[in-house]
Amino acid sequence: MNDSKQPQGTGALAGLLVLDFGQGVSAPHCARLFADYGADVIKIEPRHGDAARSSGPYPGDQPHTERSGLFFFHNTNKRGVTCDVSQPAGRSLFMDLVRRADVLIENNLPAQMREWGIDYPTLAAINPNLVMISITPFGQTGPYSEWHGQDLNAYHLSGASARYCGRPGEMPLEHGTFSADYFGSVAAAAWGLAAVMGRDLVGGGQQVDVSCAEAIAAAFVGGQNIGGLAQDGRWDSRTGVGMPLGAPATILPCKDGHVWMLALEPGQWKGLCKVMGDPEWASLEMFDDMYTRAQNADLIYGLMSDWLMAHGKMEIMEKCQAAGCPVTAVFTIEEAARHRHLQARDYFVDIEHPELGRLHCLGAPFKLPASPGGPHAPAPLLGEHNREVFEGLLGKTAAEVEHLGAIGAI
Amino acid sequence: MSNKLPLKGIRVINFGWVWAGPVVGQTLGFLGAEVLKIESRARVDMTRNLPPFAEGIAGPDRSLSNHACWAGNGSVTIDLKHAEGRDLALRLIAESDVVIENFGPGVMERLGFGYETLRAVREDIVLFSMPAAGLYGPLEHVRTYGLSLTSLTGLDSLVGYKGGPPIPVENAYSDPFAGIFGAFAILTALHNRRRTGQGQHIDFSQQEAVMQMVGPAYMDYLFNGRSGAPKGNEHPSAAMAPHGVFPCRGDDRWVAIAVASDAEWTALIEIMDRPDWACDPALATTAGRLQAIGQIHAAIGAWTCDFEAHALAERLQHAGVAATPVLRVSDLLDDPHYRARGTFIEVTHPLGFRETIYGPYVKMSRTPAMVRPGPAMGQDNDHAFLEILKLPAAEYQRLKDSRVIY
Repeated sequence: MNDSKQPQGTGALAGLLVLDFGQGVSAPHCARLFADYGADVIKIEPRHGDAARSSGPYPGDQPHTERSGLFFFHNTNKRGVTCDVSQPAGRSLFMDLVRRADVLIENNLPAQMREWGIDYPTLAAINPNLVMISITPFGQTGPYSEWHGQDLNAYHLSGASARYCGRPGEMPLEHGTFSADYFGSVAAAAWGLAAVMGRDLVGGGQQVDVSCAEAIAAAFVGGQNIGGLAQDGRWDSRTGVGMPLGAPATILPCKDGHVWMLALEPGQWKGLCKVMGDPEWASLEMFDDMYTRAQNADLIYGLMSDWLMAHGKMEIMEKCQAAGCPVTAVFTIEEAARHRHLQARDYFVDIEHPELGRLHCLGAPFKLPASPGGPHAPAPLLGEHNREVFEGLLGKTAAEVEHLGAIGAI
Repeated sequence: MSNKLPLKGIRVINFGWVWAGPVVGQTLGFLGAEVLKIESRARVDMTRNLPPFAEGIAGPDRSLSNHACWAGNGSVTIDLKHAEGRDLALRLIAESDVVIENFGPGVMERLGFGYETLRAVREDIVLFSMPAAGLYGPLEHVRTYGLSLTSLTGLDSLVGYKGGPPIPVENAYSDPFAGIFGAFAILTALHNRRRTGQGQHIDFSQQEAVMQMVGPAYMDYLFNGRSGAPKGNEHPSAAMAPHGVFPCRGDDRWVAIAVASDAEWTALIEIMDRPDWACDPALATTAGRLQAIGQIHAAIGAWTCDFEAHALAERLQHAGVAATPVLRVSDLLDDPHYRARGTFIEVTHPLGFRETIYGPYVKMSRTPAMVRPGPAMGQDNDHAFLEILKLPAAEYQRLKDSRVIY
């Protein structure tokens, strides 16, 4: 067991040994957060690899086990081993790793973990100090706990889409990314790290049960809606217009894309009017406050459109911001990637990968000046660190490792 | 089971306001930290005046959504415009481990709580700042709301119907996301402090934290120069088909179906009774189904609309297909899964009324989270001033009378 009080390396989480036994996005992303800040993270993949290796994006759209962008992004800074836990020798190897670990992060169905014989009670018996972070769409308990689910299912089970995402009368929308997986993985990292730090205080490790759907249903949808629903039976659905109670408060098209048009407080509206050249229509009484503007939102958005279509989004953002109005351009991925602000903050880092070459990657999610973090090493190739980990960490001989390979355990 | 919580002994002073900042404190509070939010009747947070109100009676201590979002934060009322008020806050910070704030860059300095000032009273303090775009850089002073912050990350450009314009997500997803993420950032800094004895000032740019969510799309840009666009409910990395939301019986009722493997595809078409699809080799692989996704989705939608969403999801699940009903807000309290997991709970507010908030959305096997209701303003004043700072009773009364403690 690593002693977290002994400084090893320079990252904030140096000294922690973390096992990533997840696939796809949720568990690997959670483990990447530990890896970003200095924990020693060993990724344990089945022999055919994390399912993310079979998902794009790939360079030139050519599928290749070692060239998945989805896999790369969530697995930087980790060492990678293969292990088939459905075989006795593989399971025994897995147990040897668990004995030494501070944290195990996984996202398998609870029934699958039981079938492999590596559910929490079994692992706690060999390592009572283990913090096992289980991240699934629906969680370890409850009637849907054995349901199959993807990010899509979890997000739509949270209430977020029907309430906030899409036009009424049309289908509710996903959030454009693995939104539920990310929400769940971040919650898991926060609660899981607390469990790690509190082990001495509370008498050992524990299982941290995260449902991605529940985390969003509670902390995003529930926070704003549950009190009113419980007390008054009151609830709302998506409107498709952004903020229905005030205007302008929506995404609107402009000359070269879209802007998030927001001008609610009197000073903000005045600032926007000034930037638009104080058009005569803007002084009409019905546009005096955000509520009356909201009642006439369609009219306003129509009246603004000539001006919007004559200007670029970055110019609109810059001028509105200078006038005290919180309008922002809707950045494309490329515009975000090239924005001088993020460049000036060194948000990007270069990482060399044997199959992908030099990559200009997204860096640390937050800055810790006294113990800098972020990705610096590429995602591991499949089984890249088998010898290093099994010989170096577990003390196997080269012959033993070779044998494990020969029988298909690794 | 332990009666201690993992973060017992950690004290947090929270200057956070509106949504994101209070959620940082709430997360640490669930886990046992003592969180004292500093606020004042001299300038009441706007979210305290948001309807609906408990029992329909308006008032800053009765906003139901405010209570849900701030639950777990204590409340200490100090008017920071008074020099004595600033001094009281600094004295509390000297007795604390963490300070949280979500103002714009420079505001803490202007209030007299810059990092150097805090270090002078508490050498190893962890100061957590979460401005929109970080503490420095050309967009340092960018003005955003939580619901538009995502526009600066590229995420908003990906949300919408396929082939259509971006559609605004109608609430600030980034607020609770960054709030919970912020708690992780603080814990990493506390872990580092435990190793080295050193505190630090965390620069948590909400733009940069949330932009991690577009990582997969960013990789596509990096590899292929593509910038991404709305694609409805299709898989973000085009790795699954079908992958969508389909209409069911009733008003605004839908089912979400995701097919990750050929076996799941076979199970789906068996239930749908589509032998023609089963015989079509072009549809036997994910790549082939992705080619035909529009046509497949149209046929599934024509099939699902005769079914009740929950019953259909159960039937598909039984066959091993990932399917869920799309829940509306009105479904959340009655959903059997959330009921079984205690996702939403009723608590008694310090002022005596009952209200429903969300409980611990993460379950800890050894140390179930601590749930406290949303704070009444100043509910922790006696504790803060009499127990932590040990002010003499007369001095405490004087500070209250002079509205320094207010």
